[in-house]
Amino acid sequence: MSDLSRRDFLKLTTTTLLTISGALGVGALFRFLDYQTEPPAKTEFDLGPAANYPIGSRSLVPDVPAFLIHSQNGFSALSLVCTHLGCTVEQKGGEFACPCHGSLYNADGKVLRGPAQKPLRALRVEVNSNGNLILHTD
Amino acid sequence: MRPSFFHHLHPPTIPAKQSRWRYTLGAGGMAVFLLLVLGATGILELFYYIPTPDQAARSIQTISYLVPFGGLVRNIHFWAAQLLLIVSAVHLVRVVFTGSYAPPRRFNYLLGLALFIFAILLDFTGYVLRWDQGIQWALVVGTNLIKTIPLIGNLLYIVLTGGTQPGLPTLIRFYAWHIFGLTLGAVILGVWHIFRVRRDGGIAVPPPPLRVDKERITRKELARREVLAMLMTGAALILFAAFIPAPIAQPISDINVMAGDAKAPWFFLWVQQMLKWGDPFTWGVFVPLIVLAVLALIPYIFPKPADSELGKWFPRSNRSAQIILAVIALLIIVLTIFGSLPAS
Ligand code: HEM
Ligand code: FES
Repeated sequence: MSDLSRRDFLKLTTTTLLTISGALGVGALFRFLDYQTEPPAKTEFDLGPAANYPIGSRSLVPDVPAFLIHSQNGFSALSLVCTHLGCTVEQKGGEFACPCHGSLYNADGKVLRGPAQKPLRALRVEVNSNGNLILHTD
Repeated sequence: MRPSFFHHLHPPTIPAKQSRWRYTLGAGGMAVFLLLVLGATGILELFYYIPTPDQAARSIQTISYLVPFGGLVRNIHFWAAQLLLIVSAVHLVRVVFTGSYAPPRRFNYLLGLALFIFAILLDFTGYVLRWDQGIQWALVVGTNLIKTIPLIGNLLYIVLTGGTQPGLPTLIRFYAWHIFGLTLGAVILGVWHIFRVRRDGGIAVPPPPLRVDKERITRKELARREVLAMLMTGAALILFAAFIPAPIAQPISDINVMAGDAKAPWFFLWVQQMLKWGDPFTWGVFVPLIVLAVLALIPYIFPKPADSELGKWFPRSNRSAQIILAVIALLIIVLTIFGSLPAS
């Protein structure tokens, strides 16, 4: 401690205090900007009476966006959000093509061609007590 | 005469050889002029632009088609922004190809590079302000890229967009950054950059004993050339603005509904092309940051050109820096061309 001159000590103290204030300021700024004013996006979609979707039907639900399939085994749904960077895939023939970077998925959502790595997400579908189809995106 | 701000930026005389167009390309000066034009036209747009998802695209249509001279103002703002990116890139290439980044101008090279980044961010935030179907996918992809950053990605996403998907808070935030945050940063960096040019002894020239050509021009001649460059740039802007309108499409009705064109804005086509190769973080964040880091390190890794070689194109003592920059520029141009081809 003895070879730390008074001037060096003051300089070190100043630098330390400035660094701490700066870090606190940046932290506070991030907390400030981290607040969300809007309610979280909807995760539940009412698709109307299940009877509107007969067995064998395959329907596009654009505002989810999802693809609803009613097969022998019941209802299932695929999210149409590309797993690469989130563009909405387009139906092409029986497949799904992403317009942003060219990923291609088959009818079950499996990746046929990258850059996407993961298959299209399967969404949960249920029929509620009124007989309406409810699609969950969470 | 009392020295004015004008005199502050213009020394009484400067070497004739290094003030030729074919040496400086006039690119730095044009960038300054374009920034002024962007400020003036941007302020005019503020009087009509409404930063909400329902109204943004409609208010831009109002200014484009109904307000007298509104189309001209908006198109000049648009074209000045595109031209600014080209002119700044040309300026950067000129500085590296003439070796002018060497000490004592190292720090000013970094200021210039930061200014270039700000221009890109201003261009991207401005483009998002349209909030029409033309920008929808670039916005979704651009913000989702932030999410791929390890550890802090999700926090950064919310800080940037104000929510879990693009919406009203996103538009307000981009607006605040565009007209205030980034603009203020660009003004500070720009003034500092110009001040440093003078402080570092003007543009790079050989020391007096080594100058072959001793001719000098006066500050009046320099100012005359600057005015000429401004007039030509101004004329080009008005021509572009009159004949090629800035795009505007339908407002975004639902951020999830596929509509419009999935192309990135032209200055990010090279990144969009790389994203086709795979992992989004690697190609969309990491590689562009590496490119930026290499550019920033140029004045720190490569030797200072020989004194006698300052103030001219392609100094022999600095070939390596020239080659690296040429390769980067060429790759970006080729990727941009591939990225602009219609998807098969
Ligand atoms: C370096 C500076 C700037 C750049 C590179 C830039 C770039 C852009 C771009 C590319 C657009 C989209 C244009 C379009 O699609 O029509 C835009 C829009 C806009 N900018 Fe700027 N800008 C700059 C400075 C400013 C300033 C200083 C202001 C105001 C203080 C401003 C206000 C606006 C407004 C209100 C819009 C929305 C209207 C519209 O898109 O036509 N800008 N900007
Ligand atoms: S977002 Fe679908 S391929 Fe990139």
